[in-house]
Amino acid sequence: MTSAGSTVTSHAASMAALRRLRRQPGLAFGVLLLAFVALVALIPALFAGQSPLTVNVEQALSPPSMAHLFGTDDVGRDVFARVVHGTRVTLSICAGALLLSALVGASLGLISGFVAGRADMALGRLVDVVLSFPPVVLGIMVTGILGPKTINLVLALGVVYMPVFFRIARAGALAEAGQTYVEAARSIGLSGPTILFRHILRNVLPLVLVQYVILFPLVLQIQAALGFLGLGVQPPTPDWGAILQQGKDYIILAPWVSAFPGLAILTTALGLMLIGRALQQKLDRR
Amino acid sequence: MVGYLVRRFAASIFTALLASGVIFVLTRSVPGDVVAQMLGQTSDPTAAQALRAFFGLDQPMYSQYLGWLGRMLSGDLGTSWTRGQPVAQMLGDAVLVTLQLSLMTVAIATAVGVPLGVLAGIYEGRWPSSLIQVFNLLGLAAPVFWVGLMLLVGVSTVFDWSPPLLYTSPRQSIVDNLSILALPIVSLGILQAAAYSQFVHQSVVSAFHQEYVRTAIAKGVPLRMVFFKHVLRNVAIPLVTFMGLILIQILGGAVIIESLFALPGLGRLLLSSIETRDYPVLQAALMIVVVVAMVVNLIVDLLYRVIDPRVRLT
Repeated sequence: MTSAGSTVTSHAASMAALRRLRRQPGLAFGVLLLAFVALVALIPALFAGQSPLTVNVEQALSPPSMAHLFGTDDVGRDVFARVVHGTRVTLSICAGALLLSALVGASLGLISGFVAGRADMALGRLVDVVLSFPPVVLGIMVTGILGPKTINLVLALGVVYMPVFFRIARAGALAEAGQTYVEAARSIGLSGPTILFRHILRNVLPLVLVQYVILFPLVLQIQAALGFLGLGVQPPTPDWGAILQQGKDYIILAPWVSAFPGLAILTTALGLMLIGRALQQKLDRR
Repeated sequence: MVGYLVRRFAASIFTALLASGVIFVLTRSVPGDVVAQMLGQTSDPTAAQALRAFFGLDQPMYSQYLGWLGRMLSGDLGTSWTRGQPVAQMLGDAVLVTLQLSLMTVAIATAVGVPLGVLAGIYEGRWPSSLIQVFNLLGLAAPVFWVGLMLLVGVSTVFDWSPPLLYTSPRQSIVDNLSILALPIVSLGILQAAAYSQFVHQSVVSAFHQEYVRTAIAKGVPLRMVFFKHVLRNVAIPLVTFMGLILIQILGGAVIIESLFALPGLGRLLLSSIETRDYPVLQAALMIVVVVAMVVNLIVDLLYRVIDPRVRLT
């Protein structure tokens, strides 16, 4: 009975979700784009049969054809396979970096807003310093200094948007700390950390999640920019920004090498932006 | 107002000082120093020691930092370790290039983006608005350097033209200067125009929903008057803040676009000084980026207060 009941409710929920998607064509398109990109990232072999690493110098810089849908690069590697296999590399770096930002930034922000006082002041100043660098410059600085390794790239991208999560979580915690329910929780003797993690976190989490989606396309673009400057993922690993960089020198001769990874970035960013916009609107209405 | 100014100024200077410390520590964390780079494979310890002493690298970190800070505050940015030129001169030349690029981009982005956003707001719910929104989304989603590359391919196939490879300053030849800057400005401009347009569109739509606007329409004020007197005026205020944000973004975008189009601006200087571990140049270049961003923010804050009397008193 319960299982039948839950099937009915989950069916009703998915119907409601479908109706909502029909009312918001932008959101529906975004979900569709992102679902496709996610599928490519999860099972690249489903789309690209060729290896992204196999070199074939005789076929170097050949234009798009049936054999090579996106053409080949300067050492004859299949650009389609590189873009498809690069999806997981690029997106996992961005997702990881943003997760790092969100975890560290939001935790510090929550604590800062809840504890207030001197710690809040000190953290606030530190955040101001990070914010005083344009994101790309900060990314260049950190990867340039730590060296172009994937882990350093994740660190660099993670630092860039930490302040944004910090500020959102701090503002949320400040707002929530004044609410009656927090006062009530305090009066029945709940400890600070319990209130913070059980009650305030629950209310701040949606803000953080929406921000995660909104920032994702920005991180993607900075990641690609660093790859383009040669500070990101190093060859031969396929990564969208890195493929673009390899194609730069042959841009007039073989524009396809750079064109397609750029389109992949554009498609993914577009899907994320459409979803982010819908989420933000929903949050604003609340 | 004076009290606010003093507080705001003090906070900015404090942040700049902190930033200078961060910059110093970060630059010194670049693996391998200039000495190792200069000596290359020959690792003669006496020569290395002499060079270290020459560059002051043998002194403790804090005294190196204080020395740098003191000289910088007295206007002496030092000499490039790899090129031997005064840093101030190198930086000055580079800043001029980036400044020209940024200002022209802002001008074009504003001229295109603001009217587009206003149009999208007026035609909300009809096809011109949808079309503009598609432009906004695509413009924001496309990576700047990719747009630059595609423009390069586009103009070379369609017009059989490519920009000159060597930079010319506007004083030498304004035509050559503009022809090398045209593509970088357009690539940066598309993104920023899209950002502007989206922002203005949202502001116009939300202004139309304000009660005073609805009241004005309800009591029969001509729509045109409502639009110019009530809607546009209220869109202008947040636009000032947004302009500052855009300028800082352009500064970041310029770094990438400069490396693509071989412009000798701040971005290229930054990248090359990281590569050669040229601390004096790297530190000064980063410092100037931070200071410019800070000054822009400060000006925006003050302008905001001048334009909107409601915030002046808080």
